[in-house]
Amino acid sequence: MRFSFTDDQRAFSDGLNEMLTREFPAARLREMWEAGEGHSPDLWQRLTDMGVMAMLVPEADGGMGGSMVDAVLLFQALGRAAVPGPVIEHIVVSPLLVGSSFGDGVLDGSVVATAALFGETHVAHADVAQVIITPNGVLHGFTSERVTGIDEGRHLADVSGGQTEALTFDADSLRDRLSIAAAAYLIGLGETMIAIAGDYARQREQFGKPIGSFQAVKHLMANALLKVEFAKAPTYRAAWSVDHDTVNAGRDASMAKALASEAAYQASRASMQVHGGIGYTWEADIQLFMKKAWAMQRAFGDARTHRRRVADAILGPRP
Amino acid sequence: MDLNYTPEQQAFRAEARAWLEANVPAEPLPSFDTAEGFAAHREWEKKLSAARWAAVSWPEEYGGRGADYLTWLIFEEEYFRAGAPGRVNQNGIFLLGPTIMEVGTDEQKARFLPTMASSEIVWAQAWSEPNAGSDLAAIRATARRDGDEWVLNGQKIWASRAVWSDWCFGIFRTDPEAQRHKGLTFFLMPLDLPGITVRPIAQLDGDTGFAEIFFDDVRIPLDSNLGGINKGWNVAMATAGFERGVSLRSPARFSSAADRLVRLWHEQADTSDDALRDAVTDAWMQAEGYKLHTYQTVTGMIEGRAIGSEASLNKIFWSEMDVRIHEIALDILGPEAEVMEGASERWVDGFLFSLAGPIYAGTNEIQRNIIADRVLQLPKGV
Repeated sequence: MRFSFTDDQRAFSDGLNEMLTREFPAARLREMWEAGEGHSPDLWQRLTDMGVMAMLVPEADGGMGGSMVDAVLLFQALGRAAVPGPVIEHIVVSPLLVGSSFGDGVLDGSVVATAALFGETHVAHADVAQVIITPNGVLHGFTSERVTGIDEGRHLADVSGGQTEALTFDADSLRDRLSIAAAAYLIGLGETMIAIAGDYARQREQFGKPIGSFQAVKHLMANALLKVEFAKAPTYRAAWSVDHDTVNAGRDASMAKALASEAAYQASRASMQVHGGIGYTWEADIQLFMKKAWAMQRAFGDARTHRRRVADAILGPRP
Repeated sequence: MDLNYTPEQQAFRAEARAWLEANVPAEPLPSFDTAEGFAAHREWEKKLSAARWAAVSWPEEYGGRGADYLTWLIFEEEYFRAGAPGRVNQNGIFLLGPTIMEVGTDEQKARFLPTMASSEIVWAQAWSEPNAGSDLAAIRATARRDGDEWVLNGQKIWASRAVWSDWCFGIFRTDPEAQRHKGLTFFLMPLDLPGITVRPIAQLDGDTGFAEIFFDDVRIPLDSNLGGINKGWNVAMATAGFERGVSLRSPARFSSAADRLVRLWHEQADTSDDALRDAVTDAWMQAEGYKLHTYQTVTGMIEGRAIGSEASLNKIFWSEMDVRIHEIALDILGPEAEVMEGASERWVDGFLFSLAGPIYAGTNEIQRNIIADRVLQLPKGV
């Protein structure tokens, strides 16, 4: 029993956090939002070069040969920066796609993959992706039509046409991995929202004092931090469970997604409230992260759906 | 990351389970907040100690097994699984003991730890005062030096089980001129000294679990302090770190309560009630989450990372979870939830006890302040 990450795992995620802080600040995310870009080819290439995008691809297939435990802190780092585009989907489905005719492009960054495995009405990132993993295989050559969504970093689209290249895979396991990756990403978002609100609470003064010195503000933020911190261990455990294909892997993945979804939502509410009127403006950066959280808490199954899956595992199926 | 138990850990678990199955009393002991129950629990502690289960994480020379904290968590899981009695000397073994090991002299370790492990001496905590609760640094009880002795005066309150305990560890003001936190000293003393009066306070549940302690010119030897003169605040905070961190409420307690809640749901709940189903699941996830969080914290401690102010997060989490688990149980019990005997007694008692959690060991409001100040780095408030 050793519930911790290795120095290498920490160092890799620290490196990714530093790179994203330096090269992808909130100002850059805002520019993309306002330009209607749902994906950054430059950043994508940078992440590909670092090995982040092929973290889960076996070394024999040209990837990093990492496990979900190796990747989970990376998803958290991507969430901290609210990296746009189908990063979660691409990283998780890449190990399958290397066996398809799109393998080379997926590895070199020229082919962007997304996924539609949860019965979604609209496909996220379809307008920036060349391939979509569906329960039937790899859909390509499709046309997409944008549907307005709440998060400009996660374009929604209706998809038509195209051809499917058959691919067999364990869809349940893939859904579990997507859920865990999304949970880690949501935790990262929660951390950033709390950090932004903390900066604001230190600087904004009322009654002649920083508002962060008031207990009402302190407690609001402490409660949000509590939720985010206590979503971490279940998420890391779920990564280990799917890596080892334990009997509870599905339950653990759902527990992670349920807790992280609720934690990120609470962080968004607390962080917006700390901002007061500024929190309700387009100018405040907090909105970029809140809206990502509100999209991601629903994506890959919301807290209610996942909690009911946990319920089925611990209480038995619903009567 | 490896979440499998090692063969050694599995063997330890099997050994603990076998011993507990053979030795845990078949009938629950009376509450240790009664005279009769206190005596019965002390006997149980002696039995535990004789088999070296009383303080598994302590060094062998003091009566422990030299086990790391992960092994201790396994022991706790088995302990709660077996439904073993509450730990009457927990203030000693889990709070004062680790503090003595950290800041005590060799002489103090040799003198106090073995009798603590065996519960020959049961310890009470004498920190709070009528006007120093959340504002602990406002302590007014004094220790004045007089020749070879300290002379103690003042009043302490909320001292758990002080009515029957043998010794206490208290904080007294030794430098009246110094700033609030700076003039305090941590002292150890027997409770039967001339000038000490212990007055029981009836708790919400009617038992006399805690007490007031009055000190009237109580004389104790010069070397009765722990961790140095005027260093009491730092010593107390080290103790509180253990308390709020992992040692006071190990996850097994709540995993076991959540499992009992699941059983209660199967036996008595309307299983078609989706809101109740969600609530039970949520409580189970919280208990599981707390366990995982603790395993992560403890691995970090073993790997040399210090447990700091984030211990305050744990204290809020487990205390609110404990209340929630019991609230849901009472919801399932419905009209039976006002009955204080028979099948519902344990849940109703547990509910009352859970309500103390957000208050003792530093109220949750104080914990939130600590998190905001030290973890979130928000500006100090009033």
